[in-house]
Amino acid sequence: MFLALREFRHAKLRYLLIGFIMVLIAWLVLFVTGLAQGLSSDNASSIQNMKADYLVLQEESDHRINRSVLTDELWNEVRSHPGGSDAAQLGVHMSTLTQEGSSTKFDAAFFAIDMESFLAPKVVEGSRISNTDAGVVMADSSLKDDGYRLGDRIVDQASGTSFEIAAFTEGQSFSHAPVIHMNFEGWKSLQPGSSKHGAIYNAIALNGSTEQMEALVSDIPGIELITKKEALQGIPGFQEEQGSLIMMIVFLFVIAAFVLAVFFYVITIQKMNQFGVLKAIGAGTGYLARNLILQVLSLTLVSLAISIGLTYGVSYLLAGVVPFSLTPSVVLLCSLLFLAVSLLGSLLSLYRVIKIDAIEAIGRAA
Amino acid sequence: MTQSKLLLDQVSKEFGDGDTSVKVLDHISLDIKSGEFVAVVGPSGSGKSTFLSIAGALLSPSKGRIWMYDQEITKLSAKKMNQLRLSHIGFIFQSSNLIPYLTVRDQLLLMAKLAGQHGQEPKQRADDLLHRLGLSHRKSHYPESLSGGERQRVAIARAWMSDPELILADEPTASLDSERGRTVVQMLADEVKLRQKAAVMVTHDQRMLDLCDRIVYIEDGKLSEQPRPIQL
Ligand SMILES: Nc1ncnc2c1ncn2[C@@H]1O[C@H](COP(=O)(O)OP(=O)(O)OP(=O)(O)O)[C@@H](O)[C@H]1O
Ligand SMILES: [Mg+2]
Repeated sequence: MFLALREFRHAKLRYLLIGFIMVLIAWLVLFVTGLAQGLSSDNASSIQNMKADYLVLQEESDHRINRSVLTDELWNEVRSHPGGSDAAQLGVHMSTLTQEGSSTKFDAAFFAIDMESFLAPKVVEGSRISNTDAGVVMADSSLKDDGYRLGDRIVDQASGTSFEIAAFTEGQSFSHAPVIHMNFEGWKSLQPGSSKHGAIYNAIALNGSTEQMEALVSDIPGIELITKKEALQGIPGFQEEQGSLIMMIVFLFVIAAFVLAVFFYVITIQKMNQFGVLKAIGAGTGYLARNLILQVLSLTLVSLAISIGLTYGVSYLLAGVVPFSLTPSVVLLCSLLFLAVSLLGSLLSLYRVIKIDAIEAIGRAA
Repeated sequence: MTQSKLLLDQVSKEFGDGDTSVKVLDHISLDIKSGEFVAVVGPSGSGKSTFLSIAGALLSPSKGRIWMYDQEITKLSAKKMNQLRLSHIGFIFQSSNLIPYLTVRDQLLLMAKLAGQHGQEPKQRADDLLHRLGLSHRKSHYPESLSGGERQRVAIARAWMSDPELILADEPTASLDSERGRTVVQMLADEVKLRQKAAVMVTHDQRMLDLCDRIVYIEDGKLSEQPRPIQL
């Protein structure tokens, strides 16, 4: 619009400076958001990608999968309950591994599953292992970055058992460690002695309606039912990590709102006399308000565009070094929020502009 | 009888209410006709600016009625008053009334924009006006780089841009030396005569009064008409 654009042009430095601050803030918002998302999937993508709505854990296990121990007996009880028709066992075991013939150690999470169940992950390389061969596993592709290939053998430090990598999966991590899927034959070899009491699991994954789940919890004693989201929160460190990042993001939004509010407020106060003149010569309040909003919006939009570019640029440079994931929909959401926040910041100035009286212009030598 | 451009009938204005109220204007009546250039004089604080604000639909009177042509402006809504100011009244203020980030030409074009006029015609009109006021070479300058007299001439050009029937000026020469001030007032007087408009000017400067057709004096809330000073 006529006034807004000409003012930008005339007071370039002023608006460049505030634009620069906005770019930095928006950049930080997007980057931290990407980091939060990246970390969360680095931490727990196996749970996020799990095709189950609910998990059954042992009671009092505080939403933590690794604290829960379930038996074959319980599995049968769940299976025979109407709510348990769509269920699968899950064994989770954090372990330290080495490659056969090498002494370099790495951490991984063993996930024992029924390869025919809905918990079986998608295979991206190799072919899915069977339920009978105890010596083969499927590893997350992040191991490929560490030099592992199909056919390589890995050794579990605690039990000394070795496994062959027969397939690679994608997006499978737990507590910042890659997930290695195995069948229950392999699971037994990790836990000598468990066969006495039958196999031991950590959780039962379930799909079904809320009512069915409620019935299941009340009918079977000694269990607790959690949603997938609660299971995420129960992963050690997940909540703390996400919580602190989200707090940073919220603060950045608040800071952005205040920076804009203060900037435009000061400028508006400076221009009081001018607004009075404009109103006196016939500029309507709506016209002046539209100009102000247009200024705020265009400043925010340009800053956002630059910061989105910067964010993707930096994430490209840092690819593989830091966990970073920013989907277009999240960028869009952040941008909309940022726009909303900046408009909120301009409300105070808008109020002043609306309240200015044309009479300010007359009889004042300013 | 020539037509009334502006008619004030028994207008009073009080500021504040109750015990602290101040009566600035007390039953003032004035009739300004086409082609008249009226000077308003009076001591400081006597209500000259208040009078001008009321005449210019910037302030509503406590009592009394005001007509522009046949339209009673005391009855208009805020929005209508805004439109009235835009199309019928040209304001010239004491100083610093130009928009700092607009070039001289854009100051004039803003008036056209506000009135919703687009295209080449307003640009042509702006260029003509600037030419008439001897500002053609300053077209793309910002107010900060103009002299006081040039600024005031730009303000006049802006006031004429919407071709208003009534020009209201509050001490338009206050920031100018007497020679430049006189040129500016002369321009106002010429325009009023030439195009049968009307103008009201508040001034402190006695030397300008001979350029005006009528002189009204405000003191203690009362308005009285004075005889014109004798032409030298
Ligand atoms: N908004 C207001 N509220 C209260 N009193 C006001 C207000 N505006 C003006 N006044 C008072 O009205 C009186 C007249 O003010 P006005 O500005 O019209 O004087 P003036 O004749 O233009 O003076 P000057 O020659 O110094 O410009 C003053 O006493 C002033 O204090
Ligand atoms: Mg005054």
